[in-house]
Amino acid sequence: MVANAHSLDSPALPPPRSETGAIGWARENLFNSRFNGVLTVLAAIAIILTLWFSIRWAASEADWKVVTRLGSQFVIGQYNTESACPGQNCAWRPQVGLLLGIFLLGMAWGVAGKSIAKPVALTAAIAVSAMAFVPYSLDRMGWDTRLLLLANLPAVFAGLALARYTPLGNVRGIILAGVAAFSLTLVLLGGWVPGLQPVPVLRWGGLLLNVILAVAGIALSLPIGILLALGRRSHLPVVKTLCVVFIEVFRGVPLITLLFMSQVVVPLAFPQDFSQNSLFRAAIVITLFSSAYMAENIRGGLQSLHPGQAEAARALGLHGWQITFLISLPQAIRNVIPAIVGQFIALFKDTSLVYIIGMLDVVEIGRAFIQGNPEYLASAKELFIFLAIVFWIFTYGMSYVSRRVEQNLGVGTR
Amino acid sequence: MNANQETAATQDMIVCRDVHKWFGQFHAVRGITTTVKQGQVVVVFGPSGSGKSTFIRMINRLDEHQKGDIIVDGIELTDDIRNIESIRREVGMVFQSFNLFPHLTVMENITLAPSRVRKWPKDKATEVAMGLLDRVGIPEQATKYPAQLSGGQQQRVAIARALAMQPKIMLFDEPTSALDPEMIKEVLDVMQELAASGMTMIVVTHEMGFAQEVSDRMLMFDHGNIVEDGSPDQIFNNPQEDRTKLFLSQIL
Repeated sequence: MVANAHSLDSPALPPPRSETGAIGWARENLFNSRFNGVLTVLAAIAIILTLWFSIRWAASEADWKVVTRLGSQFVIGQYNTESACPGQNCAWRPQVGLLLGIFLLGMAWGVAGKSIAKPVALTAAIAVSAMAFVPYSLDRMGWDTRLLLLANLPAVFAGLALARYTPLGNVRGIILAGVAAFSLTLVLLGGWVPGLQPVPVLRWGGLLLNVILAVAGIALSLPIGILLALGRRSHLPVVKTLCVVFIEVFRGVPLITLLFMSQVVVPLAFPQDFSQNSLFRAAIVITLFSSAYMAENIRGGLQSLHPGQAEAARALGLHGWQITFLISLPQAIRNVIPAIVGQFIALFKDTSLVYIIGMLDVVEIGRAFIQGNPEYLASAKELFIFLAIVFWIFTYGMSYVSRRVEQNLGVGTR
Repeated sequence: MNANQETAATQDMIVCRDVHKWFGQFHAVRGITTTVKQGQVVVVFGPSGSGKSTFIRMINRLDEHQKGDIIVDGIELTDDIRNIESIRREVGMVFQSFNLFPHLTVMENITLAPSRVRKWPKDKATEVAMGLLDRVGIPEQATKYPAQLSGGQQQRVAIARALAMQPKIMLFDEPTSALDPEMIKEVLDVMQELAASGMTMIVVTHEMGFAQEVSDRMLMFDHGNIVEDGSPDQIFNNPQEDRTKLFLSQIL
């Protein structure tokens, strides 16, 4: 800050050569003592051997035919089978949902400008469009399917244009468009409009099912968690007690137990049309379970705030709700982004547990296939390694985006 | 001492009658009775724990008094939330630890309350804020975040933020105690200019140079009460109370 008096006479010298560059770095971090040098060499050998054998196995010994054999079932489960959608090709319905998702990413790119949104939107659009060129045949899918996949590239730019050139180009616009797109996707998938073949939700499956449950869970558990956290800090004893009981009950019971219970308890609280719907039940349970954890994460963020923040806001004449939503929550949420994203990742992985109530998520599709086709029993490890990679791509994507968002928001912190 | 002394006689801005405050069993403020006139600059000083901060925090009800009356600009402070809100619009406060909002830019810090509480349009709020940043000498920092500013600059933003509500009274709770020595002057200069403009100010501080030069009146606090009340001249040159003499000898 203040100029050092010496800097006026003594020139600033570069650091000694051995302290900089690759050699300086290696000496500092890898070989700074004899013991650490030995550890470095041993670790390097272990890493190289592991990589060597893994790559050799994956390239020559492993039989990945099981993955291509399952093909589109990973993505949509038995949605487009003859029994689910008799006499029609229903593959276009989830594809429209995918198009809407990519369109929303394009909108995010338009709103957020030069940020992580652009590379995420472009990468997703290009990766999905590239699926159109996958060589093996996608069962029951023709050229229309491949064209719809290719349409994702224009879709991302359509979203971008909508955000740039219409009044929808803000966060509120994205939320509105997101709710509309998600509802439309559900209606299309269910075939709940005249003229479309209805497809029972038990036939929705694969990654589609995981993503629908995760999107609903993430979108709802954050606001519910915020309300629970505020309620738990409330001075009103009834509100506070209700929130504490809710949080402790849902946090204290395994998700599997809750999923089982939902089949018995949800029908008591909701009309029969809904309670028959296993997807609806699963979404409720996953959301409430995740909200309880989310509430505690956000409460932690609220407690980390300096009391002077709310005091300064009060002194300026802001009301209680204004202080909460303009001062406290934005800071609290930013402070606990890692915990919140951790909860989102856990939620996404937990969506696999719906196999417990008879739904065929992406993992259960694979497991059921192996069980039904014993000739592929030997390929089980390839199948599950593939599934692990698919999950990892999604969760690492979430974690990477959150880190970049933190960096962008961190401009003004401390 | 300042040009507004003739108007100062006209109106009582703050009236306290036998004001008490307890924190649990601790009797922090023990029956304060005093009146601050419009345009007066009052320095409050005294040993730590003597109730100075609590006294000024009761004036905008960040702390509630439990006995006695406080009347600010003609409005009595009660539990009535509307009274409290209208008082807080008229009373600006500057804190020892600045308490700027770290997630908002300097400009957003200043315009937040005028646009949300006074419901000013964005243009007007921004214009007033730019004028205030000019006045405190840092117009070039408008788009930065508080963490990118030095302590002295942050405190000047905090003063601008409080002034943006166009208050009639400004309270300062040890505004320079958290600052590095070379930054104290830039904040005191802003406060001196504010005093010269006729603002009613109550300043808790141990900057005795500022008190001597700028204030109209000094209140020595001890054990939750005012032990001496006089002009700076009187306090420095002819203190009546032994406690005042002892305290001044310790800090000067």
